[in-house]
Parts: sequence; structure tokens; C-alpha cells
Amino acid sequence: MSKRWSILAVGAIAVVASAHVGSPNVIFDGNAGPYPVRVVVRPPMVVPGRAEVIVQLRNGVDPTVKHVMIRPVFWRAGVAGAPVGDEAAPVPTARATYSGLLWLMAAGAYSVYVTVQGTRGAGTAVVPVMSFATGRLGFSPGLAILLALLGLVLVAALLTLVYAAVAESQLAPGEPLTPARRRRARIATAVALPAIALILFGGAKWWQSVDAEYQRTLYSTPKPTIEIRSAGGQNVLDMSTLDPTDRISALIPDHGKIMHLFLISRDGAGTFAHLHPTQLDSTNFRLTLPPLPAGAYRLFADVTTENATSLTLTSAVTLPQGMPGAAAGDSDDAWTTSASVPQIAPNAAAALGDGFSLAWTGAADSLRAGETTDLRFTVRDANGPVNRLEPYLGMAAHAVVMRDDGSVFIHLHPMGTISSATQAVFALRDRGDTTRTGHLPSADVTAAQQMADMPLGGTFAIPYEFPKPGRYRIWVQVKPKGRVLTGTFDVVVR
Amino acid sequence: MAIALDPGRTYTAELRSTAAPISVWHAYAVSFAAVCVMVGVYWDISWHMSIGRDSFWTPAHLVIQAGGLIAGLSSGYVALKTTFRGTDAERSASVGFWGFRAPFGAWICIWGCGAMLTSAPFDNWWHNAYGLDVQIVSPPHTVLALGIFSIVIGALMLTMALQNRATGAEARRLALLVSAVGGLFIMNFAVFITEYSERMMLHGTLFYQIVCVLFPFALCGLSRAGKLDWSATASAGAFMGVMLVLMWTIEQFPATPKLGPIYQHVGHMVSLSWPLWLVVPAVGIDWLRRRLDGRVSTATLAAVLGAAFLAAFMVVEWPFASFLVLNPAARNAFFNGNNVVYWATNAYVAHTHQFIPAPSAAVFARGIGIALVYAIGSSAVGLLWGRRLTAIRR
Repeated sequence: MSKRWSILAVGAIAVVASAHVGSPNVIFDGNAGPYPVRVVVRPPMVVPGRAEVIVQLRNGVDPTVKHVMIRPVFWRAGVAGAPVGDEAAPVPTARATYSGLLWLMAAGAYSVYVTVQGTRGAGTAVVPVMSFATGRLGFSPGLAILLALLGLVLVAALLTLVYAAVAESQLAPGEPLTPARRRRARIATAVALPAIALILFGGAKWWQSVDAEYQRTLYSTPKPTIEIRSAGGQNVLDMSTLDPTDRISALIPDHGKIMHLFLISRDGAGTFAHLHPTQLDSTNFRLTLPPLPAGAYRLFADVTTENATSLTLTSAVTLPQGMPGAAAGDSDDAWTTSASVPQIAPNAAAALGDGFSLAWTGAADSLRAGETTDLRFTVRDANGPVNRLEPYLGMAAHAVVMRDDGSVFIHLHPMGTISSATQAVFALRDRGDTTRTGHLPSADVTAAQQMADMPLGGTFAIPYEFPKPGRYRIWVQVKPKGRVLTGTFDVVVR
Repeated sequence: MAIALDPGRTYTAELRSTAAPISVWHAYAVSFAAVCVMVGVYWDISWHMSIGRDSFWTPAHLVIQAGGLIAGLSSGYVALKTTFRGTDAERSASVGFWGFRAPFGAWICIWGCGAMLTSAPFDNWWHNAYGLDVQIVSPPHTVLALGIFSIVIGALMLTMALQNRATGAEARRLALLVSAVGGLFIMNFAVFITEYSERMMLHGTLFYQIVCVLFPFALCGLSRAGKLDWSATASAGAFMGVMLVLMWTIEQFPATPKLGPIYQHVGHMVSLSWPLWLVVPAVGIDWLRRRLDGRVSTATLAAVLGAAFLAAFMVVEWPFASFLVLNPAARNAFFNGNNVVYWATNAYVAHTHQFIPAPSAAVFARGIGIALVYAIGSSAVGLLWGRRLTAIRR
């Protein structure tokens, strides 16, 4: 068994997670009724496992707040099938902050329902969380040694028990052990040794099969099939999302689009495109490519299914030389190529074009992995900060964060990491508008995505937790005056 | 007559017939520990079926741990006492183990306690690595089950050694204790195969094959080793009695699932299904064994007992399973034919009220034929084991 341990001791296997790549923690800025809250959910690596939930009252200490309840709701079972909520306990080391642990028992779409109760009434925020096994814990050397020692002692003791069973246990009190019986006991022990070894071998094989089955169920990003061709003077990208694991069920629009597709150049050329393919049928999509430079690109495509699952599909594509460009297929498509990219630092600013710039107005300190950070920006024109932005896809701003090796990718908004479409699906499900087999009308989902109280000022903050240290690039998209503009920053996260 | 046991020490022949005084309370303590672990296991499974949320400190876990500690610590005390302060009678009724001395059963209990302790960090790692108890039967749970089983076996060995040495009224009292512990021994097997003996599986050949591997062994062994005329019957009766009392008691307590998704809103503790009707084949095994043991070869006896087991078990379990699964009259607190876990979907619940579709007659006959072979083999091993048990003296 010790050989098995050495195999397992290689450490935790990091695997990418769902509505994003490699960035499983969920952050939501919004309201639980009359109470503005920030909710952070750190899902477990394994399912069933415990998610850490942190609820922060965004207006600081509020004496009117009496209880903060957290409750895990599995999409398929709905609120009716959710266990009673737990009270989140105040965190002694942080102001106006509560925390608790919730068991996520099944794989699939969950929402953490955060209910704040107080003298101003009660309000609930729905925070969608994807529950997937994303890794397997390794053995620490200390635990491996401890278990190996205990195992050895147990095996040695078992052999002694076999010897004693045949030798002394069958003697009457005081009766001496004869050489013949002693020999029989030794033979029995010698036979027991390979038998025990065989049982241990069988146990190790069993463990291996459990492990292999577990590895098979680990989440991996769906890989679409991509074909790029020239047709009628245009570059066309055809995508098939047929997924052998059947995770991609009927899709619903998020921010009014059935798919948000991002092309990010790999060769340091600094090209970034946020595009919106057309859905041809349940698994096929088509996109007319804008005039992008030839070269290798990473492709990420965000979709939301009507059973409240958010998925990021990943692929790699190469745009050949000499392909003609074409006008944007969708008026919300936007792309940019940044020749020089500023590092995030106090007073750093990225050019947006059209006379606008985007200034970093966030923390002066360096950003740290695993800590909730406000990515704070201000849109400026020649006269200083602008007062108001136009909504772009229903939001004041969109941001895309990618680690330079592509191992982290996420699409963010001022409301956080969550997809507002999944939030809407949970709300509709609670209302009884959908069933496990029913279908949601797209219009209902779009209508249910709450944008009413969204601020559209020229200064905005996007909450995020960088999952691990490294070099990241952040693209921020805003619409100050009629056109979508993209600002690009680099940041080193420690 | 003096017998040399250890160099430099002598023992009188009278010692051989004297029960070591420390052994009796120890046998009762370890038997109580065996009750604790088995009741705790039952309670724990019920906890997972009804409430779900787990911690080291659930009452069911505490009862299991208490059982482990009672068995381990009392046996450890006996080992230290016998080794360093033991009377001649106590030392002469013990076996050596790495320089220490204690009754054979005490060492099995200590081993079981060690296995239970070992399973704790292993199981904790398992939960963190693969998720909480996706399956009952996992490698760390098997180590735990071996530890729990060892406590029951240790209790059986301790009581068996005392029974085999005792005479008169004490012998009968100890024989009753052996049969009671034998009931826990059977319960261990029955609980371990819970996932293979759900009610809709009770007409399947796999179920009969698994039953025929385990229970003829247990019943034949106990029938031969117990000093009662109806030892196997008493043990099977104790098993069914304990299971029924637990079933009827536990389901009286209110409980709410604390984990989701919840598909069945159970309002009380859910208990395990009606126990297997082992008392009926046990009567057959006791009756036949007493008439044939010593008159025919062990192989012949095993063939007769194995066939009798399968026939007697099927005669009662098959129609009872039909009642339990199909008849709405079984869906009440008495028969518990409607117990469901909170995470069972409605489709699954409907599935538990119909048998898994039967294979063709030929495939079924072949499956039952395999079960018969298993039953005969299991009976043979049980008879041989029973003979060894009658020889246990320390």
C-alpha cells in the first residue's frame, strides 16, 4: 500500500473549473432586500464537500441587522428541496462580516440563498455557484508515514493473532505448548502472510479503481469543434458544441446574448475580441469574424444553460494570413489591439480611443491571490472623469481577466463573477416557471435579469479574487459614448 | 501433577479448571462494547438516511467510539494486569502477544480498536480527497468495519473461551451470552450488505448469492460452537430481535434532513428495512446438525446444511419480500415497507415498490444454482470454523 501512497503523494491535482477557467470562487455584489451585501463563496474541491460562505454588509456595521442566514439550493430540487438555512456567524476579525460552511452534496448548479433579517425586514440574495469536483487532495508526507506505520502494525498484529489462534488459544489453562502445535501455528502464520498480502493487493486495486472513476468525473472544460473558412469575402467561424458528457443542454441568453466568445492572441500581439456568434441549432454556432490580425489565438466561449449551469468552452484557433476582414456581425461585437499595455499602479491609465482613457483608481498596494479585491477604474475624457456611461450588454462595464498561461480566464461585471442569467433562472424556478423537463422562454430570462438598480457612473468597481499568483491581463470594456471601447492593463498578482 | 508453562514457573493441575476471575467481567464488558458498536452503526446509518449532516460528535459516532474505547481500554487493562500483576490462574488462561499476556479475545479487541483508530485519519483524508461518503463501502470504511467486526469477534472469542471452560449453570449462562454475541456477529454481515439487500433486490439472484456466501458460514459455525441445543436459532433470533427493536424504536424519533437536495421530506429517523428472516434457516440448521453431526462426513453435512439453508431461507424470504415490496399493507411503521432516504427521487421511490425485472427462467435457475454452491461451501467453512471455536480455551 505504501507504493500507492507514494503515487498519491504527488500533491493536489489542479483542474480547471466551470463558468470560467481556473477561478472557482464566486463573488457577488448586490442587495439582499434593503441590505447591500457582498457575498463570497469558495466552493469545495470535491463533491460532496463544504463551501465557505462569507457575507459582508457593504454599508458597514448595521445595528438593524439581526440574523444572516445561508442556505444551499440545488437547481433540480429548488427551494422546496433545500435544507433549512444555517445562521452565518459574525467574523470576530472583520467588521460587519458573517461566515459559515455549507455542504454542497451534488454536482451541478447550486445557489447560495443569503437572507438578511433585521428591523427593516428580510431580503434574500441568490448567488449561483457551480458545484463540480475539480481536484483530488494529495497525501501529506506526515499522513502517509502515519498511515503506513499504523498499517504495518496492524498487519504484524494480525499475523500474531493468527499464530495465537492456532497455538495457545486452544490450550486448556496451564497446558503447555507442544512443538507440534507450535509448528502448526508457524505454518498457519506463513500461509496467512501471502493471504493478507493478497487482500491488501485487492484493496489497493479497489482504491485505484475508485480513484480512476473519480478522475473520470472531475470537471474539465468542454471542448467545442471549430472550423474557420472564407466564404463570400468573409471569414466565418463555425463551432459545434456537441459534448459527449451531455453537459450542454438548452442554452439561454446571458446579457441578451446566447454566447459570449473571446479571442485572445497568444503571440503577445495584444489582440482581444469580444464577439457574439449566432446560434444555428442546439449545438451549432456561426460567427462572422471581424478583421483580426493573423496568428494563434486562445478561444473562450461563455454559455449558460437553462438548468442554471454556466460553462466556459475553450479551444485554440489560428487565423491564417490573407483572410479578408468584414464588418462586425453584431453591433455589440468589439475588438482591440493594444500596442503597449500599462501595468496596474497608482495613476496608471490605458487609452480607450475616441478621446477617452481608463484610469486605475484601485488600491495602491500590490494585488494578492486569494483575497477579495476591488478592481476600481475611472473613465476620463479631456475634461476629467465622465459622469455617466451607457450600458453595454446591460452592464456599466465588462472585464475579462486572463493569466498569461491561459490557466485562468473569467468574465466579470461590477456585480461580481456570477452570471445574472443563472440568477434569473433560479428566480424563475422558485416562482414555478420551470420544471426539470420544461423549457424557459428566453424573453423571460432576459426580463428577469435585474439591471434596474445598476449604477452607471464613470467610476466603477469590479470585485474579484485572483485564484493564484502570476501575471494577468485585464481587459475592461465600457461604452462612454455610442461605441464600445476596450482598455487593457497588466498586473502581477502575488 | 505440575506443568511447566514458563521456564522457572510451575502451575498446579487444578488451575486448569478454574475460571480466571478477571475474565468474566471482561467478557461482559466487551460484549456490552459489541452491543454499543453495532447499535452505533445502525444509528449512524439511520442518521445518514434521515439527517445527513455528519460530524465526529454525532450521537451515533459517540456510541461507536464508546464501544471501541470500552473494548480497547478494558482489554488493554486486562493485558497489563495479566502481564504484570496477573494471578497464576489469569496468566495460565492467557496467550502471549509481543511479550504481553491476555486472553485471545482481548487481543482481537485491541486489534479492532487499533483498526478503528487507523481508519479515522484515513477516512478524514478520504472525505477531503473524494467527497463525503459517496459510498458506504469504501476502503477506509472497510478498515473501520474490520475494526468494529473485530470487537464483535473478540467478544465472541472471550465468551466462547469461558463457555468452553465452564460447567453447570455458569456454562448455560455463558452459552446464552455466546448466542447473544453471535447475533451481533450475524448483524455485522447483515448491515454490511445493506446496499445489496434493498427490498426491490430481494428476488434477485445476486442477493441470494451474497446471503449464501455469508450466513450459512455464520449459522453453521455458531450452531456447532454454541453449547445451547438451538445455538444458531438463538443467535439468528437475537439478530432479528435487535434489528426489529432498533427499527421500531429509532423511527419514533423526529428528524429533519440537514443536507440537500431533499427529495423526500422525512419527518422522523428512517430505520433500516425489516431484517432478513435468518431465524427460519437457523432452526433447520440446528435441527439437522444435531441429528447428523458426527454421523456423516463434514462434506456431506455441509451439502445438507447448505441446501437446507437456501431452501428454508427462500421459502420465507421470497413471499415476505413480495409482501414488503408490492403490498400497501406493508407500508407502515410496523413493517417499514415504505422507508425512504431523504435524497431518493420520486422515481427511485417508485422503483423500490417493484422488483428489479427477473431474468429468464434459465438464467434465474443458474443464479440460484450458484447460490447453492456458495451455500454449501460457506456451510463447510462454517462447520470447520465451529469445530475450532469449540476448542478455544483461553
